[in-house]
Amino acid sequence: MLDMQGIAKIFRTDLIETHALRNFDLKVEAGEFVAVTGPSGSGKTTFLNIAGLLETFEHGTYRLDDQDVSRISDDQRSRLRNEKIGFIFQSFNLIPDLNIYDNVDVPLRYRRLSASDRHTRITSALDIVGLASRMKHIPAQLSGGQQQRVAIARALAGDPKFLLADEPTGNLDSLMARQVMDLLEEINRMGTTIIMVTHDPDLARRAHRNVQIIDGQVTDYKPYEGPYEPSAIIGVTGERASG
Amino acid sequence: MLSYNLRLAFASYRRNPTLTGLVASAIAIGIAVCTITLTLYHALSNNPIWWKNDQLYAVTIDSWDPERPDNDKHPERPPPQLTYKDALALLKSDIPMRKVAMFKSTRVLDSGKADVKVKRMDTRVTTGDFFRAFDVPFLYGGPWGAAADQGPEPVVVISKEVNEKTFGGINSVGRTVRLDDRDFRIIGVLDTWQPAPTYYDLNNGSLENPEDIYIPFAWGEALELESAGNTNCWKSEQINTFKDFTNSECVWIQFWAEFSSKADHNRFQSWLDGYAKDQKKLGRFPRPLNNHLYNVDEWLDFNEVVTKDNRVLVGLAFMFLAVCVVNTVGLLLAKFLSAASLSGLRRALGASRRDIFQQHLVEVIVLGLAGGLLGLIFSALGLWGLRLMFASDFDQYASLTHMDPTMMGAAILLSLLAGIAAGLYPAWRIGRIQPATYLKTQ
Amino acid sequence: MSIRPILSALLRNKTGAILVAVQIALTLAVVVNSIYIIVQRIEKIGRPTGIDENNIFMVNTQNYARNFPFEATIREDLAYLNGLPGVVAATTINAIPLSGGGSSTAYFNAPGGKGEGVPGNYFEVTERGIDALGAHLSSGRGFSAAVIRPPVQRTSEFVPEIIVTRDVAKQLFPDTEPLGKTVYSQLSQPARIVGIIDHMHGSWTGWDKVGNVVLHPVTSCCNRISYLVRTKPGDRDRLMPIVEAKLVRTSGRVVNSVRTLSFYKDRSYSDDRNMAIFLSVVIVLLVAIASLGIFGLATFNVQSRTKQIGTRRAIGARRRDIVQYFLVENWLITTSGIVGGCVLALAVGYWLSVHFELPRLDLYYLVGGVFGLWLVGQLATLLPARRASRVPPAVATRTV
Repeated sequence: MLDMQGIAKIFRTDLIETHALRNFDLKVEAGEFVAVTGPSGSGKTTFLNIAGLLETFEHGTYRLDDQDVSRISDDQRSRLRNEKIGFIFQSFNLIPDLNIYDNVDVPLRYRRLSASDRHTRITSALDIVGLASRMKHIPAQLSGGQQQRVAIARALAGDPKFLLADEPTGNLDSLMARQVMDLLEEINRMGTTIIMVTHDPDLARRAHRNVQIIDGQVTDYKPYEGPYEPSAIIGVTGERASG
Repeated sequence: MLSYNLRLAFASYRRNPTLTGLVASAIAIGIAVCTITLTLYHALSNNPIWWKNDQLYAVTIDSWDPERPDNDKHPERPPPQLTYKDALALLKSDIPMRKVAMFKSTRVLDSGKADVKVKRMDTRVTTGDFFRAFDVPFLYGGPWGAAADQGPEPVVVISKEVNEKTFGGINSVGRTVRLDDRDFRIIGVLDTWQPAPTYYDLNNGSLENPEDIYIPFAWGEALELESAGNTNCWKSEQINTFKDFTNSECVWIQFWAEFSSKADHNRFQSWLDGYAKDQKKLGRFPRPLNNHLYNVDEWLDFNEVVTKDNRVLVGLAFMFLAVCVVNTVGLLLAKFLSAASLSGLRRALGASRRDIFQQHLVEVIVLGLAGGLLGLIFSALGLWGLRLMFASDFDQYASLTHMDPTMMGAAILLSLLAGIAAGLYPAWRIGRIQPATYLKTQ
Repeated sequence: MSIRPILSALLRNKTGAILVAVQIALTLAVVVNSIYIIVQRIEKIGRPTGIDENNIFMVNTQNYARNFPFEATIREDLAYLNGLPGVVAATTINAIPLSGGGSSTAYFNAPGGKGEGVPGNYFEVTERGIDALGAHLSSGRGFSAAVIRPPVQRTSEFVPEIIVTRDVAKQLFPDTEPLGKTVYSQLSQPARIVGIIDHMHGSWTGWDKVGNVVLHPVTSCCNRISYLVRTKPGDRDRLMPIVEAKLVRTSGRVVNSVRTLSFYKDRSYSDDRNMAIFLSVVIVLLVAIASLGIFGLATFNVQSRTKQIGTRRAIGARRRDIVQYFLVENWLITTSGIVGGCVLALAVGYWLSVHFELPRLDLYYLVGGVFGLWLVGQLATLLPARRASRVPPAVATRTV
């Protein structure tokens, strides 16, 4: 699925050259649930940005879904982000002036699908995260946990190859955090690859595999143990709007 | 608190000088456009002798055609001028404190000085009361009296400009000059006098320069002087000689009366009506009785000195200002909201909504005043440009020399109001925000 | 691109949009009406005058000597002027066309002076009058020298012949051929129409009957004597000082002014020209300010929505999608302003036509204004939209 080799990301200012990532190798197979951890300043965010094609890099190669994406154009990167990657951000990043339906709709609009096609995808994504009944609400009317679940629905609606989650529970209390993690595990069981960046070791433990980044380089300490079979689909129960 | 708010205001300007400059400029341009059109409007609607508004009146008699009115658009109005014989008759009444009968003509002035060209002068042929009635200031000498009007005596009053061009500005009273083929003695030199508009005679325009020289009214008949103003005749009459002309129903004389009391004013009105009735018995004045005295305000209205174009311009100018104000609201909102975290911080540290509101209101008022001052500069430039374009060539707008203090005050007031109008909503909006919203990192 | 979500978002955050929309509405109303007024004024100034206005100059003299020899002086002056190389023709005249100063009287198609008659702005000219004016006779002839009245101070005599413009002829004799017909003064004195001028403007450019011009065969006199001189193209400016220098030498009179006819025409139209110039300046400033408002709002939106832009880019928007978003958003705002503006423009136009007797607003101007403002709005948004597109997608993952 995702194959990074020898990646180096260098930030240059007039005075300093910072190597955010150096000689970075990582391979993630389809269906995995990988947690990427590390202390602050270790390069987690840089890794996230590169993996998500949000930033370019100086050295190395990156193959995504068997396609070399090391030196592609900005438009091509946008297209890949839209079709292959689903993002989940720490601060949800929902658009405040749009309702839930329109928020989930945003990435689909860039793909020029028909209205009915989009409608099907949006409703089923919201079903999966259990918020179909709140389609007309705006983000301000939902709790943090609900907003993050909407963000997950947005990420899922385009049928991505993998989800890229950046501290998905960072802004949530422990109850909501647990519910979001349950949801992510469920989605992974259904077959979606998930790469999650976090500094919380408890969260990291729930993933199949941990990768640690220290000073821009990788250390595996929970090795890959073979392909994972998707289990039976379990329906996700809805949640009360309890904040 | 005010000085503190002022300091905060200036800090805010420094933080974003471009935006501040844009706001001030937007207000300034709007103010400038309004001020220029208003100055023009004001100049034309101005009553230059407002202190005599209850005493000074233009006299009219409806001597006109029974078949149609003098003014088709305003059929209730009498003709604005008198016939020569009516003017003479009115001069005989002793009710008004001062009586002015006059018309504009031209004479050629030969000063006798070798280095000064013989030149045509715009001449006002008038009774001597003209100067006291219209408060015309004298630099040297004074007006002529009733005796000179009686004669008529060959006396002349010259303007300051003529005195400067001809005699270098010295006291030329007593000197003799030749007007056409006759000697006249200078008995007075006027000081600067440029009433705007020239309310006393609007036949040739409203912002022109007053006449160059003034001679007694009786010379008109004595020298058979031709009018250079407006002559209107309705009756088919044989006019072969000047005498025929002065006896005709043609109107070409302007007549003003000044009264020392309201009672006198009323008495004169009755006397006028009586005179008209007498003339009707003689077969004149076929139209219904319609003799009116107009004070200067009414006279300016009557003569439609303020043109339709002026009014349209003023209306458009205010719409323009409205756009500037709305524009400023937007700019201010942007300015305030982009620095909202600072206000959020202040609120967190204890400022009340009112404190924030006041702080921003001060910022806006100062900005409005700055815009107003800038606007005054723009206005002055604009008016100077107008004068440059027109006054030199055409002698129009000659009296539009500067903004008087009233207009300047009006401009500043307008800018203040514009600033407050523009800033009220943004200042209130910024006061309303929850401190937490803008303290949280976005 | 999809309009509905952009519209929904806009409706939830209306303030900025309303401010811009109001500016646009006012701008449309002012600009459209102003342009209309300007065009009318330009058309008014550009009306053909029927005379050779660019090659004519006026000499205004005033005599002051006792017993000034009018007749001899006029004869000499005219002989000199008409003999000057470069001069096409010269005539005495009682008033200056297009200058705002002149004389008029009423003409009747029957004796008895009944009714209002037809008003005619009359000019007293010699037999060279038609040539001096450069007027075009559509039928008939000019005056012969024999019929020109010699100079006299004042008389109530009418003239035996007149030349009229077609406007006057039509008003006097709407159904019959006017040439050769007799016309009467208010005192029932007859005059025959010997010539008809196509078209000529008289003294008062603001008069709705400015085309009502009549020529009288009279040598205009006496305290003031004015000459109208027509030159060959290019000779006017050269000849003016020469003529002035010559005429000034006659004693007993002053030469008040020697001015081109264009000077008087420009002065008569100066109010119209000033209005056009002033309105043009207002239009330019107004559009500039409205553009500034649009630019400002767009910039502000971009700045305050940086996170949103980054997120959109992260989930798949290309640069041009971002640009398009802002352009569409601006188009929606501008259009709502335009809708209000159209109503306002028509209302202002109607009010102007009623209260100030200006003709009703032509819809072409409104359409032009609408498209113009759409264009202005999009152009003003372009720069901020481009800047927005350059927000890097990595902004989405920033937590500061």
